[in-house]
Amino acid sequence: MPVKVMFVQLASCWGCHQSLVDLHETLADVLPQLEIVYWHTVVDYKLHDVEKLPDGSVDVGFTEGFCRTEEDLYLLKLARQKCKLLVSYGTCSTYGGSPALLNLYQIDEGLKRKFMEAESVVDKKIPDMHVPKMLEYVKPNREYVKYDLFLPGCPPEPPLIAEVVTSLLRGEMPKLKERTLCDECPRVKSEVITIKKVKRAFEGIPDPEKCLLEQGYICMGPATREGCGAVCTRAGVPCRGCMGPGPNVLDQGAKMLSALASIVDYESVSPEELVQSVKDVVGTFSKFTLPSSIIPKAVSKKK
Amino acid sequence: MSKKEKTVVIEPATRLEGHANVVIELDEKGGVKDLKFCVTLTRMFEKFLEGRLAEEAPILTPRICGICPVPHHVCSVEAVEAAWDVEPPSAAVKLRDLMMQGKQISSHALHFYALAAPDFLAGPFADPSIRNLVGVFKHMPDAVKKAIALMRIGQEIVKTIGGRSVHPVTGVPGGQAKRLTEEERDRLLKLIDEAEGLMDFTIEVARKVVEGYLDVITKLGVVPTYYVGLNVNGVHTIYDRKATVRVMDPEGKIVADFPKKDYLQYVGEHVAPHSYATHIFFKPAGYPEGIWRAGPLARLNVADKMETPRAQELLKEFRDAVGRPCHATLAYNWARIVELMEAIEKARKLLEDPEIVSSDVKRADVRPREGNGVAIVEAPRGTLIYNYWTDDEGVIRKANLIVATNNNIAAVEKSMLVAAKQVLEERIHEKLKFPEPWFK
Ligand code: SF4
Ligand code: SF4
Ligand code: SF4
Repeated sequence: MPVKVMFVQLASCWGCHQSLVDLHETLADVLPQLEIVYWHTVVDYKLHDVEKLPDGSVDVGFTEGFCRTEEDLYLLKLARQKCKLLVSYGTCSTYGGSPALLNLYQIDEGLKRKFMEAESVVDKKIPDMHVPKMLEYVKPNREYVKYDLFLPGCPPEPPLIAEVVTSLLRGEMPKLKERTLCDECPRVKSEVITIKKVKRAFEGIPDPEKCLLEQGYICMGPATREGCGAVCTRAGVPCRGCMGPGPNVLDQGAKMLSALASIVDYESVSPEELVQSVKDVVGTFSKFTLPSSIIPKAVSKKK
Repeated sequence: MSKKEKTVVIEPATRLEGHANVVIELDEKGGVKDLKFCVTLTRMFEKFLEGRLAEEAPILTPRICGICPVPHHVCSVEAVEAAWDVEPPSAAVKLRDLMMQGKQISSHALHFYALAAPDFLAGPFADPSIRNLVGVFKHMPDAVKKAIALMRIGQEIVKTIGGRSVHPVTGVPGGQAKRLTEEERDRLLKLIDEAEGLMDFTIEVARKVVEGYLDVITKLGVVPTYYVGLNVNGVHTIYDRKATVRVMDPEGKIVADFPKKDYLQYVGEHVAPHSYATHIFFKPAGYPEGIWRAGPLARLNVADKMETPRAQELLKEFRDAVGRPCHATLAYNWARIVELMEAIEKARKLLEDPEIVSSDVKRADVRPREGNGVAIVEAPRGTLIYNYWTDDEGVIRKANLIVATNNNIAAVEKSMLVAAKQVLEERIHEKLKFPEPWFK
């Protein structure tokens, strides 16, 4: 019997779904085992088709994205109602994701910039006809509905998706990885690290083998969950933390700040000075998790 | 609204990436009064980019679109470089070009096989349960396997250059963070061999579809509009730092060919009260007269020729059949195949260039400064414009983005209105010639 699934796209970029498509030939093995009851990008079923389904009749639902509008919220609640098992698919769904940085502003400021102030706009007005109302702030979806499983990543890398999907198809509950990104990063770390200054991503040319944090680049590895295969540090750039906080970490940004404080060279710089030298604290340390963090909110309010 | 007038809402519009509803207003006789294409979401990147470190923008903006993150990544980093007046090493520019071609391959293959082909292969009247990729897979597994292989090849190129297949990370102001090794180059060349083999089949499918549906393609939802696309002296391109932006009017005359930094003189955004996506248009012509389209069909219309030989042959075949300019919306799918061919040929050319494996891919002396930078590239679905204003510390103060798909919103609405009238009033679908479905 094929497994009944639905893929729900809230406010998102479709990247999580693209990453699923990036299973390529594996996807070809998985597809015939699925009966897709909703996936608006791929299948022509409409919203009213979902509304008609009996509650709890869909085996697994995957939600991509966060709730930006009332329409998103309606769809999220509908998905919860129809699905036996609901998977929070990707970092937007799980922690709010990077577009939730708009929480730093009022929603009206966002609308104003886009529809009234943008340099190329000719007839300024804010759309209000047949369009759903915007929600004031982005909250993690779990504050609206209960989830059975979280699969973070922006997007989750294909091997991680393969693992999760195949165990779900076997009827088993997948387990998330339990270490931090540094544990799967191949870069060489010294026993004791100290830094005097933080470097911005474009400064100099990083050593290809050595830990990036040790070289002064802000690499979110110590505060981030493993599972992507450390693809970014392997490609020569610091981790931006898209998998979200590591295990037993509540606030990714706060965790990274304390990790930094523990490695500054106190003789030349204080931890406060070091943090302040980063011109955008929230966007750097909570790029993907602002709605689920505590400290950056305080920082941004102070501004 | 009188009692007999009626509104039909299609919710959501399916098989497109993004959120939209279609609202059709009918009069008392069942005629189509108006049609509104309502894009129901915006995440307002323009706003939250304010205050961010400019070098982080290329990490953030790919999240606008997970199907085409590469053009966003590249355009974002080049807008920062333009603002800071930084010239990346030429090998880095070639790597970005290669990554763009990789994305063009996977996105066009995905669009053609997963989003468009099911309508043509199963026929537009088939049940939704079979008229989709999974349906095609059950009935034509071989075709889907070939489609998947093409997508894989494109995504592999992106991952190898960009570090990730979705949301690449290697573009840094001043160059690329990762070079291409010789082994990687050889592996990618093998993939290109494979892609070339798959193209014969893809072209064959496309030809059969076009033959069968020529009547539909040339008669349903045809709307004359302006067209916009990058070119270098008339030659088609999706990524070139020297490229200019060409605009063609509905009669087929080139009415502008402007340098990227002058975009504000030519590009206007009209806010439709029923859409969170603005309608982009050719500013000198005004709205709605200046509504234009971007993407594969537009790029073929504005180009005098393709950059590579096999793609040029396909362009000729295309033009012989549908002319220039071609206004048939459904011809987009065919135009996509012509561009797919060019992307594969171009990727080979780049991979065979010895400089592609150079280790000089990133400048060490990049300094932020106050500036105003514009970059324009062609995303698979259309012209993509980035404009950043940075302060002297390299923090973004303002951002203006014209996102590829928005170029087409007004024309999509217009051609849906035409098609809705044709179908609901003239019942054209009963008169058009449709081929037998490939499967039922
Ligand atoms: S988590 Fe990332 S890839 Fe997934 S929808 Fe959000 S932005 Fe896109
Ligand atoms: S800090 Fe970054 S570079 Fe260093 S080990 Fe951790 S993940 Fe790797
Ligand atoms: S290295 Fe960090 S930013 Fe990159 S994919 Fe992994 S978790 Fe995300």
